[in-house]
Amino acid sequence: MATDKNSLQLVTNGILQENPIFKLALSMCPAVGISTTVVNGLMLGIAVLFVQVFSSVTISLIKDFIHPRIRIPTYTLTIATWVTVIDLTLAAYFPAAYAQMGIFVKIIVAFAIITMRLEMFACKESVPASFWDGLGMGLGFLVGMVVIGFVRELLGSGAIFGYDVLGFKPLLFFILPSAGFFVVGLMMGFFNWIEASYAKRGKK
Amino acid sequence: MKDIISIIFRLTLSCIVAGLIMGGTFIFTDRAKKANEHAREEKVMYSLLGHDEGGEDPESMAMHELFRYIVTDGEEQFIGYLLPLSTGFEFITIGLDGSFVSRVPVQLSETQVLESGERDTAIAAALGPTKTIRFADQTLVVTDDGERSAFLLSGKFPGYKTSIAIILALAPDFSIIGFEVMEHEEDPGLGADIERDFFRRQFENKSFESIKALRTIKEPLPQEYFDALEGRIAEEEAAAAIMEKYRLQDIYALTGATISTDAVVMGIKAMTKKFAYRIETLDAVLADQQIAASF
Repeated sequence: MATDKNSLQLVTNGILQENPIFKLALSMCPAVGISTTVVNGLMLGIAVLFVQVFSSVTISLIKDFIHPRIRIPTYTLTIATWVTVIDLTLAAYFPAAYAQMGIFVKIIVAFAIITMRLEMFACKESVPASFWDGLGMGLGFLVGMVVIGFVRELLGSGAIFGYDVLGFKPLLFFILPSAGFFVVGLMMGFFNWIEASYAKRGKK
Repeated sequence: MKDIISIIFRLTLSCIVAGLIMGGTFIFTDRAKKANEHAREEKVMYSLLGHDEGGEDPESMAMHELFRYIVTDGEEQFIGYLLPLSTGFEFITIGLDGSFVSRVPVQLSETQVLESGERDTAIAAALGPTKTIRFADQTLVVTDDGERSAFLLSGKFPGYKTSIAIILALAPDFSIIGFEVMEHEEDPGLGADIERDFFRRQFENKSFESIKALRTIKEPLPQEYFDALEGRIAEEEAAAAIMEKYRLQDIYALTGATISTDAVVMGIKAMTKKFAYRIETLDAVLADQQIAASF
């Protein structure tokens, strides 16, 4: 079974129609735990993007070799391998970036979104299609994280990119993990509302 | 049956390939990583001692490595120190009650002493076959014109999630010069603020007496203190006055991260107290035996 979408459609699919955070609601725990500021969201997004693309391509390459009964352990193994490789490489050659991203890279092993994309897409599709799908999903996650981070940083710390813009802290609650769910929920509703009203207008 | 064999074969092969990839990357990157860490450590040590990058070390300053070992002889345990003397290195064994046990010269050169493998073999050879040694920790003693000016100790203690590694600089009277977080995995935006100036600098200039009783207080950090800690007050005198005003104050907890704060407070307290006890024991033995260490 090959996908009928072209590369651009695969990428936008990950960002819009099947956005990992707002539509698929996957990997919520790490996402709400980390997205306290724009920069944190961005860092985790970049890390997920790389691991997703590498893992999707790997699984797509070896899909005929994986025994169907043990596919999930194999996915986890693949993800863990890439996470370790990226972690070690960053630590060795980009110490400045690693100081910022180090802790984000390590927690990716447990991300549902990556396993799910490997199961749903990469193990059935060709290598290029898996690459574009991984890219789209990674970007979708990154965009979602940055948007949530923006809202939480503004409301929780009164700042954007670490710069104090409001001069006061409106609601400290927003930088605590539980508030992440509120923000995600509200934004999900917001996106659905826009989509619904857009569809209604299309019908008329 | 055929399925099981196939599964075992495929899973084993995947694991081996994954292991080879990870191991290969490790071998490839380890040297660069170590070099980075070492460079960072050195930079941190110099900045803790107050001479930042660009500044030359004063000629009179010297650094001496002090290595501590646990020595086991049959059932008994001792503490051993590898001391730099003017004539070479010597290994001093002290009983757990602080009594002097033995001293033996160790054949090592200045560069060999920094290689853990060569150092351990040399000490083991000097002590004889009945005793086994285990490396415990190392401290840098900084001297200025022969007088001790600071101790630099690295330590690790449990944080909120994993351990927090720091380098702590103590003055000869065991008051805190400063510390720097080397490694931690606290939550960004919450516990990760232990790295920031407004938290770290609260420990500066605390005397040994106040460290012993140090605790965390759950009150908002006063704005003027925050500004002074972050270096946002332009006039040096005003900033110094504010720092002095809060000098004996306990540590203000980080908002939403009391556990991380407590971990650092307790960790530094324990490190300082243990170190002070050890160095005092060592000094008493050195004075008693009239051993002239180079610090």
